[in-house]
Amino acid sequence: MKKSVGFFMTILSAAAAAVGAAAYFMNCRTNYFINLGIDPVVMGCAVCAIVLQAAYIIVTQKGNQLWTDILAVLPPVLLIVATITLAGSRISGIASIMTFENNAQNMADLTSAIVGIAACLIATIVGIAASFFDTVKE
Amino acid sequence: MNASKKSGRGSQRLWRGLTTVTASVLALALCAQPLVSANRTDLDKFLGTQSSKIVTDDSDSQDLFAYKSDYTSTTELLDAIEDLGERMSEEGTVLLKNNGALPLSAGEKGKVSLLGFSSYYPLMGGIMGSSLTPNQGTDADTVDLVQALTARGFTLNPDLQPLYQSLESTFATEVQTWAGSVTYNTLTAPSVGGVFSSKEPSQSALTGADANWKNGLSDYNVMIVTIARAASENATYLPGEAGVDPSQNLNQADPLGLSDDERDLIQAAVEAKGADGKVIVLLNSASALEVQEIQDNDGVDAILQAGLPGGYGFYGVADILSGDANPSGHLSDTYAADISASPAAQNFGNFEWTNPDPTTTTNSAIVQAEGIYMGYKYYETRYADVVLGQGNAGAWDYDSEVTYPFGYGLSYTTFEQTLDSLKVDLGEKTVTAEVTVKNTGDVAGKDAIQLYVSLPYITGGLEKAAVQLLDYAKTDELAPGESKSYTLTADMQNMTSWDSEADNAAGTKGCFVLDAGDYLFTVGDDAHDAVNNVLAAQGASVGGDSANVKTWTLNSRDGDTFARTKNGTAVENQLADMDVNYWLPGTATYLSRSDWQGTWPKTYSGLTATAEMLDILDNDIYVISPDNGDPASVTFGAQNGLTLADLKGVTDLDDPRWSQLMDQITLEECMIRTGFGGTSTKAIPSIMSPEAIQNDGPNGIYSYPLGQYANTDASTGDPCAVEADDPNLTYKFGTMAAAPVVGQTFNKDLAREFGEVCGNYSLWANLTIYWGCGTNLHRIPYNARNHDYYSEDPVLTAGQGNEFVQAGLKYGCLIAPKHLAFNDTEINRSGVATFMTEQQARENELRGTQAIVENGALALMTAYNRVGVTQDNAHTGLIMNILHGEWGFKGLISEDFIQDANYTALKEAVMNGVTMSCNTGENTAAAVAEKYGYWTVDAVSKDAQLMAALKQAMTWQNYALANSNALDGLSSSSRLVSVRTWYDNLVTGLQIGFGVLTVACAAMYVMSAKKKD
Repeated sequence: MKKSVGFFMTILSAAAAAVGAAAYFMNCRTNYFINLGIDPVVMGCAVCAIVLQAAYIIVTQKGNQLWTDILAVLPPVLLIVATITLAGSRISGIASIMTFENNAQNMADLTSAIVGIAACLIATIVGIAASFFDTVKE
Repeated sequence: MNASKKSGRGSQRLWRGLTTVTASVLALALCAQPLVSANRTDLDKFLGTQSSKIVTDDSDSQDLFAYKSDYTSTTELLDAIEDLGERMSEEGTVLLKNNGALPLSAGEKGKVSLLGFSSYYPLMGGIMGSSLTPNQGTDADTVDLVQALTARGFTLNPDLQPLYQSLESTFATEVQTWAGSVTYNTLTAPSVGGVFSSKEPSQSALTGADANWKNGLSDYNVMIVTIARAASENATYLPGEAGVDPSQNLNQADPLGLSDDERDLIQAAVEAKGADGKVIVLLNSASALEVQEIQDNDGVDAILQAGLPGGYGFYGVADILSGDANPSGHLSDTYAADISASPAAQNFGNFEWTNPDPTTTTNSAIVQAEGIYMGYKYYETRYADVVLGQGNAGAWDYDSEVTYPFGYGLSYTTFEQTLDSLKVDLGEKTVTAEVTVKNTGDVAGKDAIQLYVSLPYITGGLEKAAVQLLDYAKTDELAPGESKSYTLTADMQNMTSWDSEADNAAGTKGCFVLDAGDYLFTVGDDAHDAVNNVLAAQGASVGGDSANVKTWTLNSRDGDTFARTKNGTAVENQLADMDVNYWLPGTATYLSRSDWQGTWPKTYSGLTATAEMLDILDNDIYVISPDNGDPASVTFGAQNGLTLADLKGVTDLDDPRWSQLMDQITLEECMIRTGFGGTSTKAIPSIMSPEAIQNDGPNGIYSYPLGQYANTDASTGDPCAVEADDPNLTYKFGTMAAAPVVGQTFNKDLAREFGEVCGNYSLWANLTIYWGCGTNLHRIPYNARNHDYYSEDPVLTAGQGNEFVQAGLKYGCLIAPKHLAFNDTEINRSGVATFMTEQQARENELRGTQAIVENGALALMTAYNRVGVTQDNAHTGLIMNILHGEWGFKGLISEDFIQDANYTALKEAVMNGVTMSCNTGENTAAAVAEKYGYWTVDAVSKDAQLMAALKQAMTWQNYALANSNALDGLSSSSRLVSVRTWYDNLVTGLQIGFGVLTVACAAMYVMSAKKKD
């Protein structure tokens, strides 16, 4: 079967989610944010979303079933949860770095947080858009 | 596939997509709920909403407002602020040089050329902290230099402003943020790790922009050249060429010295002024600058140090230029010729541990090896020892080292001061000086009386400065020829020395002592004048006036009189662990006047923290344990029927109602309120303690507009209720001069007036807590945050701060000293381990706060840095034993804006009586436990000692609120009512709406799938 736009958008969403998860992981290792640790909600939702998107692509190569469509719906939901949870955990740090603790090192530490949030948000939006399309042309 | 099937699949995709959209928004709304709860306070402040309010049903509510404003309208209030701002700069601007050029004549006012881009883009406050809040459309609009001069009738060279405006892009600074860049057209201070870049347009740049720009200078030949250096929180200068942008090649030896572009500009002014012109250099900086070459430049006729004058201070500067005001400001810092050659500069920078650990914010250490010899205490003492030929002072030339001494300042008239009498009363612990001041010139003016003392120094004994400020006062305006006597009553505590080896009343070591010997008291125009008087009295030929010296002799060492503080607490060593040698024996040599050259500070870098130090540096000191007493001994949640309003104005903490009230509070409330302090105190329902809003400063209460929390309901009986359409509600009070200008006034009355307008503003704006009294010392001019603090001298700091804080309290405004203590660098300000001797700590930095606290301050902010290796809040010696114990502090304490739960050291802070952190979160025990893993009700409820400390902290915090205007309008019957805000409704609406839509879309999807099949 020929690949549809949904296929590429789902791949793109999963890739963005992977970038977000990686950036989050890196951010959790920075000096400024190291004490916050890794939030299982953020990492769990992101990883689950990627796995579900991968599964969705694989199982839909042989055609769409009613039950497979749930795999298109869940990842964006999981990703928005990851995005909001990540942003929420970084709000006070962002506020502090942008005001009282604005220096080059902290700004660098902040970058991975911003990248992580942005990537997760992009993954969510693309994932939502992808859910309007099938992965293969019938 | 047929068309109908295709259409069915398309419909299925559509509903699948819409289900995804609605489910995602539903998830967003559900996730937003806890975020909203966790950040409710800040959301309300940002959006101007209220999530709760206190309802009072009393009919006679007028009596519920204990504190009264001096003003009947916001117009009167703002007029008072504006007037004070102008007078603050009239008395806080320092005339450093004047060959008769100033004041300007009426004719000269009509031909002024403003040169230097900072003349048009002046620094009126800090870049961050004490930042100017421009106001337009109010009854007290702020003005810059051009506006102030114009308003005062000066006529400015019209060619120059457009010239500089055309060059705006060349001196603009782009500050990068993750969200983009912010452009400053003023100078900015280097960020931590950065270097200073000169922004002054070169002569070729000026000529390139306008080849004829000099043509008008002959007609407008009164040149005012502004030289600026910015100040900012979280920024720093670095000593010497290392602090200067190496790519500029502008022959700049120090960031606080001149660049060639600045030199060239001054020289261009000198060359253009002609025979009847004048060159006046205006210094626009909170830090002392290196200006020896300007002083030496005969072409420069006058130098004025305006500091950061705020939104109205340039009116005062204009009045000084025109002679409408006679300058009476005196420097609150020494102006050294080469700042990098000072002893403190040898250990100023980023000195990382060899074994840093970001998880514990263990980053760097700074050994303040200059000992007590900070600022003028170094320069004047070494000078004295050179003169006296002692202490291996070497071939050290004072005139080459110091451009202007501490306390220096000229006037348009001359004064003569005579120390008529001096009485030392050991019983009262006071020194009373009678000083006559005579105006010997021909212009009316004020003078600053500076009373200094020289303590008896024995070589090899306790370190002593050759002179130190003991007290000061500003005279009234004296007419030419007028003479007036003044009485200064100084606190002898300020002339004691800390001896860490002395026996004490506690039976341990460490005490304030008075050594045996001659105490020489004198008045001087500045610290150097004073030391010359002392030296003259000691027989040296230095041009001093020995007749102006009074001697008091103590026959034997006194280790008893100051063995107890004003509240009767026996003093003892509390800061021994601040000496790096305590941890790493033999590491540091502190500067001693017994051997200046031999003990000159080395630079202490590359220190390695030992395992013992790391055990403290991990911020985990207190062990929560069920072995710490009987938990049943601490009462929570009692039903005693009291509210905080019942104790309104009760200053006696022994009143049994205090313990009854605090028995009502719950353990969870104590834990949440200490753990989640944030930017206000938050309401405590069990005792009906209201939320009290915190505000930053020190240049005014500027965190929120006047109207954000103002009471618009006149029916409450609030005498400070405002009309909803009051044009001043948008006013933001970040308009006063920065703290060094307040210090430079040497006028306690002006500091008190500042406290009074803050108190009044607090009543109108309903803003109770004000982090407004910067009492850290100017250890060195390179600290870009010096603009938040008064001076390098602790007595001047405490003198101004005490008047300021006390005046605020009259109006129920909690003006808080900050930051206790040793927050004297912005480099790694969170985490830096600060080392010094206890003598240094107690005689310099702590002395700047001690009197303010002893006189009844009710709020205080601690510091980011470490005290030795111990996080500031966790240092029991400083916070519990000195602040609470020796000084008797009982009130609200917030940590600085620490956002790392580990570094906050909450349990240790609470044990030391710190009442609130700056972290925020949802108002639940679970949320606070999530932030601080050890802070669980289960664990804490088993530790009686910690529970008692929690209650004690909450008692002190609420004691402060009960004696503040936060309780205005509250009665015993007041109750807290929750309010649903628009954003609460929005979130709930989204949850319900998208919940329904998700179900509907899913159903439609299923239906479309069935239809397709």
